[in-house]
Amino acid sequence: MRGILDRLYLASGYLACICLALIGLSIIGQIAGRFVHITFDATEISGFFMAASTFLGLAYTFTTDSHIRVNLLISHLGTRGRKVAELWCSLLAAVAGGYWTWQTASMVLVSIEVHDVSPGLMAVPFWIPQSALVIGIGVFTIACIDEFFQVLHGKDPDFADAEAHALGDLDAVAFAKTQEGPAR
Amino acid sequence: MNELVLTTTVLGTLFFLLATGVWIGLSLLITGFVAVFFFAPTDPGQLLATSVWDASWNWAMTALPLFIWMGEILFRTRLSEDMFKGLSPWLGWLPGRLLHVNILGCGVMAAVSGSSAVTCATIGRMSFPELAARKYPEGMSIGTLAGSGTLGLLIPPSIMMIVYGIITQTSIGRLFIAGVVPGVMMIGLFMAYTMAWSLLHPDQIPDNDINMSFSEKLWASRRLLPVIALILLVLGSIYAGVATPTEAAVMGVVGSFALAMTTGSLSFATVRESMLGALRTSCMIGFILAGAAFVSMAMNFTGLPLVLAAWVNTLGLGPIGLIVMLTGLYMVLGCFLDGTSMIVITAPVVMPMIEHAGIDPLWFGIYIVLVVEMAQITPPVGFNLYVLQGMTGRNIFTIGFYALPLFFLMCAAVVLVAVFPQIALWLPSTMLDAR
Repeated sequence: MRGILDRLYLASGYLACICLALIGLSIIGQIAGRFVHITFDATEISGFFMAASTFLGLAYTFTTDSHIRVNLLISHLGTRGRKVAELWCSLLAAVAGGYWTWQTASMVLVSIEVHDVSPGLMAVPFWIPQSALVIGIGVFTIACIDEFFQVLHGKDPDFADAEAHALGDLDAVAFAKTQEGPAR
Repeated sequence: MNELVLTTTVLGTLFFLLATGVWIGLSLLITGFVAVFFFAPTDPGQLLATSVWDASWNWAMTALPLFIWMGEILFRTRLSEDMFKGLSPWLGWLPGRLLHVNILGCGVMAAVSGSSAVTCATIGRMSFPELAARKYPEGMSIGTLAGSGTLGLLIPPSIMMIVYGIITQTSIGRLFIAGVVPGVMMIGLFMAYTMAWSLLHPDQIPDNDINMSFSEKLWASRRLLPVIALILLVLGSIYAGVATPTEAAVMGVVGSFALAMTTGSLSFATVRESMLGALRTSCMIGFILAGAAFVSMAMNFTGLPLVLAAWVNTLGLGPIGLIVMLTGLYMVLGCFLDGTSMIVITAPVVMPMIEHAGIDPLWFGIYIVLVVEMAQITPPVGFNLYVLQGMTGRNIFTIGFYALPLFFLMCAAVVLVAVFPQIALWLPSTMLDAR
């Protein structure tokens, strides 16, 4: 079960990475099209990839502790207090995530029903990119439920590091720590 | 009375959620829900889904992950070494000598990276050990790194400006160009301070150990050419109006890959790590922006921003009083919030006040970035401090103390930009195509 869940988050993260690359590729297509006088408007499609990338990556970002939070107060609590705080946060996130998934899914159903398409040249049916949101937020909700039960079963909530992880500068900090001397 | 209940409920919910450690994006979503559920005659669920969706496929926002990705690629190249070896031969004669590598190196790196922590880490990981080996005073070495690292936010491209541009619907291209002159001014202030300090403490600065002829120096700085070309490509195309910030960001990503390839640091692992790193950052910001989209929509339904703007209006502060008050507010918020969250959380309430006071949102963007930069180097919350803590092993408050003189220089810069708004506004007014 553990393995399946971790692979789910990572798969969702890789999918988000592919969408990130596709934002770039669609814009390269637009620039290239300009030189050969072919109209290819990437404005909409790159936006759709952007939305997909953001939401498909939510769970992966969550499990790597990269979502930012204020821990000025809770980091000063004892182990027990931190555990209670983490249970409260993840339970709230799971409930809110579930509600968010449900509302987004019902928006997609409406889009299908009324055949809502994007205003640009490509006229993309809105339900296609919107589905990425439902999947992303859904996986995020699973990750929140997962976190709740992990903490309940004794996982130590690690707030101290989560602070430094913020703004994705996790890499910069981690890298700086591993560098003993100058990087050659 | 009803307005008082509204204000206390909404702000109370937000503060309670933030204080108990709920992720910021989620705190915003829940606060928005509470506001609509209790105070607006509409269905919160559909408003949540549609406002998040509408905000998430915004064209301007696509520049965000791309510029982050560009910085993540460059961070993993040999750029940090090239920058040190290319810059140091020219700076040996200045009072303060190689300390200026920190400042100028960060200035150059800031022009290809949108994050101050990435800027700080890229330059610091090479120059800090080199300076320590040459026995430069540690306080100055760490202080200049912490201070100049913040240039990453002020000198374009800048993640903070993209976030501000999206939230307030200000042109990101113009914001970028507006940051150039204040950024150069900050470099000047930092260098002047370093020179003055070194002239006052001549015994603490080691002798110049670089003995190179002019042609050797020129040959050493060939290493700077790729990064300069990258800066000209990205910023030049925005300034000339031939590319939107998003298109410039794509060219930047391609250019960074080319740079990584020519310096032999391009591998499958580099690509993968840079993408996952960029994803974590852009996803984290995207979540906050999604929360902000819903909460600002909810706020408009409840009318809270107008209530607060009207209240501030009754204080009769005038533009200068308002700016002074906001500076104080951001200094306090900066003690427990990061820059992105500060801008995003305050914008729905602060922007109506700014517009009402007749302050140019473009100028305010530069002002807010400067203030956020100051918050970046004040403990206990500040990302440059975390990076330097990881790199040097010093306590976060010690690093904050080393950076204190540069903090005061930034205060001076804020005053200068407030007294002479043309510092920020002149260059964008000369842009060929005001996008």
